[in-house]
Amino acid sequence: MKPSTVQIKKIPSRFKHQVPKYKVTRSNACINCGTCAKSCPHGVHERQEGHNRMSVPIDYKCIGFECKNNDFYCVAKCPRNALAISLNPMYETLGDHRWTADMITGTWIMAETGYPPERTDLEYNTGNSGGGFDKLRLKFPTGRPKIDKFEISTEIPLNRRNDGRANIVISTPVYGGGMSFGSVSLPTMVSKAHNAAIWNTFTCTGEGGYPELLQPYNDHVITQVATGLFGVREETIQRVKIVEFKYAQGAKPGLGGHLLGEKNTESVARMREAVKGTSLFSPFPFHSVYSIEDHKKHIDWIKEINPDALVSVKVSTPNDVDMVAVGSYYAGAHIIHIDGGYGGTGAAPDIAKKNIAMPIEYAITKVHNFLKDEGARDAVTLIASGGIRTAHDLAKAICLGADGAVIGTAEMVSLECVRCGNCESGRGCARGIASTDSELADLFNEEWATQRLTNMYHAWNVQLVEILQKFGMRSVRELVGRTDLLEHVDYSK
Amino acid sequence: MPKKYHINPKVMPLNLESVHKFTIERGENCINCGRCTKVCIYEAHKRGKGDPRKMADPNTVVCRNCFRCIQECPRGALEKSIDKDFLNIGGAYWKADMFITLWKQAEDGKVPVSGAGYRGPFTGQGFDSMWTDMSEIVRPTRDGIHGREYISTSVELGRKLNHLTFDENGKLLSKIHTTVDIPIPIIFDVPMENLSANVLLAQVRAAAELETCIVLPANHIPADAKKYSRSIIPLITAKEIDKHQALIKNARIVALEYTEDLLNTFPALKDKIKKINNTLTIVRIPATKSVENIVSRLAQNGAEIIHVVADYRGMEFNGSVNENRRLSKDVIRAVHLKLVEDRIRDEVTIIFSGGIAMAEHVPKAMICGADLVAVDLPLLIAVGARLYEEPEQIIVLPEGLEKIPVRTLLQRVINLMGAWHSQLLEVMGAMGIREARRLRGETGRAIFFEEIDNETFGKIFKQREIKNV
Repeated sequence: MKPSTVQIKKIPSRFKHQVPKYKVTRSNACINCGTCAKSCPHGVHERQEGHNRMSVPIDYKCIGFECKNNDFYCVAKCPRNALAISLNPMYETLGDHRWTADMITGTWIMAETGYPPERTDLEYNTGNSGGGFDKLRLKFPTGRPKIDKFEISTEIPLNRRNDGRANIVISTPVYGGGMSFGSVSLPTMVSKAHNAAIWNTFTCTGEGGYPELLQPYNDHVITQVATGLFGVREETIQRVKIVEFKYAQGAKPGLGGHLLGEKNTESVARMREAVKGTSLFSPFPFHSVYSIEDHKKHIDWIKEINPDALVSVKVSTPNDVDMVAVGSYYAGAHIIHIDGGYGGTGAAPDIAKKNIAMPIEYAITKVHNFLKDEGARDAVTLIASGGIRTAHDLAKAICLGADGAVIGTAEMVSLECVRCGNCESGRGCARGIASTDSELADLFNEEWATQRLTNMYHAWNVQLVEILQKFGMRSVRELVGRTDLLEHVDYSK
Repeated sequence: MPKKYHINPKVMPLNLESVHKFTIERGENCINCGRCTKVCIYEAHKRGKGDPRKMADPNTVVCRNCFRCIQECPRGALEKSIDKDFLNIGGAYWKADMFITLWKQAEDGKVPVSGAGYRGPFTGQGFDSMWTDMSEIVRPTRDGIHGREYISTSVELGRKLNHLTFDENGKLLSKIHTTVDIPIPIIFDVPMENLSANVLLAQVRAAAELETCIVLPANHIPADAKKYSRSIIPLITAKEIDKHQALIKNARIVALEYTEDLLNTFPALKDKIKKINNTLTIVRIPATKSVENIVSRLAQNGAEIIHVVADYRGMEFNGSVNENRRLSKDVIRAVHLKLVEDRIRDEVTIIFSGGIAMAEHVPKAMICGADLVAVDLPLLIAVGARLYEEPEQIIVLPEGLEKIPVRTLLQRVINLMGAWHSQLLEVMGAMGIREARRLRGETGRAIFFEEIDNETFGKIFKQREIKNV
């Protein structure tokens, strides 16, 4: 599959207004002449038919201070100097250190248009966390011969063991993270799977069963076997190409999963074979695994049930994550998926999100080097997740040593998540993404969501290809482990 | 194994003035269409009580920042911003968000849980520059908070023997010292900022109900707290021992303020206190520049328990303003390592306090080398206090607090400690550690920013710079 064959379509926000970065104020000096409405091509100013007075400016449409170079700049055009542009205090209520308001806005634009934003006032590639990816920069060389974009490949193989199992190749080095039915709505889940099929990549069921509606996309679904074994059945393992063991999750390493009772609705309970309204805990750890030997037994069990499937092992990032990774390789895993401490979640204790286990940037470096020293690096696929927010994070993760990445939050943001963090409580997500409430889960349809995801994946692919082009590379596989192409803001001083 | 310890939380709102994070303003162009009431699932928007044709002012206390009203208002008439009062509370160390989460824990006693990943800075100062470890596959793991396995958080206060001696018949010759067991590695150390009687009594009773202890200056001990004297640690100076004989007689532990002459007089003072009622002695010492040397000398002189107190932002006191002041993480490590070096660490109990602001600071202080911590300001925050760091430290108690029943305040303190206890279990469960005592000094089960950054990025980037030269 060629990324260039993916259909991009402009698909606007579900909401009437976006979150504005700027505030446009009109003072009493305004004489309602309408000059601004005539000049602004972005539609900030309006005078409705039959009205004498100008409407209140529509802030979110304003492109901000950079507009002053345009000859249609309303502030300069206004004959009474009645207009002013300032930063909107509302913008401060959006986003956080890791996902800044600019990054969220940028991702929304990607999901809407399929391309990175053209606006230059948004810093959407790096966040404001003051460490990790946010301090790493890609160091582009100059004077490299320009490679035709169409010759650049972003595909990566997932089976490197030569063990006769399926040789799966994904067309873009990204796939969707495990989010269970219950933690997210059915339209969210199905659209993730549909998008995975469009992009010839994968999505993951998470630990909450395998809804019927995912079956058309079986070839692009990873089914998860986690500690609670919710919804795991032989036939769900047999119908997929990849099975993932989840030992731990980056957001709550060592704590298991947790679906609060209020989100355990009737349909969720049925899927998980549990009682409606009870809180569902996925324990930590697998009580059948206390060593690499036990771990191998687990993997062998899956391989026996599905003779063609690849096995992925998802672990979080303790001090000895490198040992865990090598152990998993010897136990027969095809994919080692490390989920960093700052990863996403539908519900996790705040203390765990902040404090337990190391950030992914360190873990990738440790695992990649350890696997290399062990001579095993070429025989496994190393997938990173937990804090991969942008195409630049993805490229940096690959430079540090990952083959590809799993993303979760970026997909949610494409569906207009604002990261308010209330996925876990009451009826769940107020925006209908991570909710199984009958009313809220109906806020968007699968078609809208699929196209938003497809657009976002496209924008990332466009950015990744541009990065590879600047490095003069024909394949994303050449980028793996190229730490020499990175610089660190603190170290290069 | 000590008996299973459980803290019973109970929802306990305070119903006094409080600070909320967001403000929503309704603009003049609102057409009272009521769309916001339909889209808000938290009921922030309602029609006016008196005049249902008009919208009431938004109730922003319940706002969870979902943006639906903002984005769906047909007129774009709603504006949200971060509340100014919220922005003002706390400071560089006591961040405004901490108050919201501490108040919430005091109200419901639950572990704060939320969706979406971590949202803060990558790393920070002091305790924020370390992560705790976890176990999976290759190391023993534990059930954690929701499992059936019992994780003990109890610690012992007192002097321990370095080794036991026996006579030739195998009879024990060593005299085992008395210790005090408490079921959580936390004691109370409430700041005495004009506390009303109900607040003070609530703190004492909460300490008693939790089976821990509270340090109180001897002349602040309320008369009605007599029956809780086993849970009270009177704080006195060396000169006041005779004066407070009666107090010491009823207490299991007494705390002595450190003065320099204590380095010489301590053995005699300890004996004097022991003679009153076999009471244990804490030496309370400010975290000054070379505190580890003083702690070491005190330990050699037979100190049983040493309480190292840093300032309220977790910094040592050394006369200078901010620069060159060690942070609690480094102070505790220095004290611990000094005692390890002197081969006396296991004989003495170290309590640390100052800047213990969140549940995570408890295991982190212990990993750095404390046996337990003393908690101070959060006990007042539990009863609704706000703190301002600038221009100088001010504690503001909510108006009307003195009229709130002791039972309410006491339950809020218990709730907060219950939430902290559960969070400690979460962290320990993830680490695969089953006894809080084994956390002490376990730096191998933590990840320190300087070390990991150096080990990974340092190798990549420093080397390359050398190569370029």
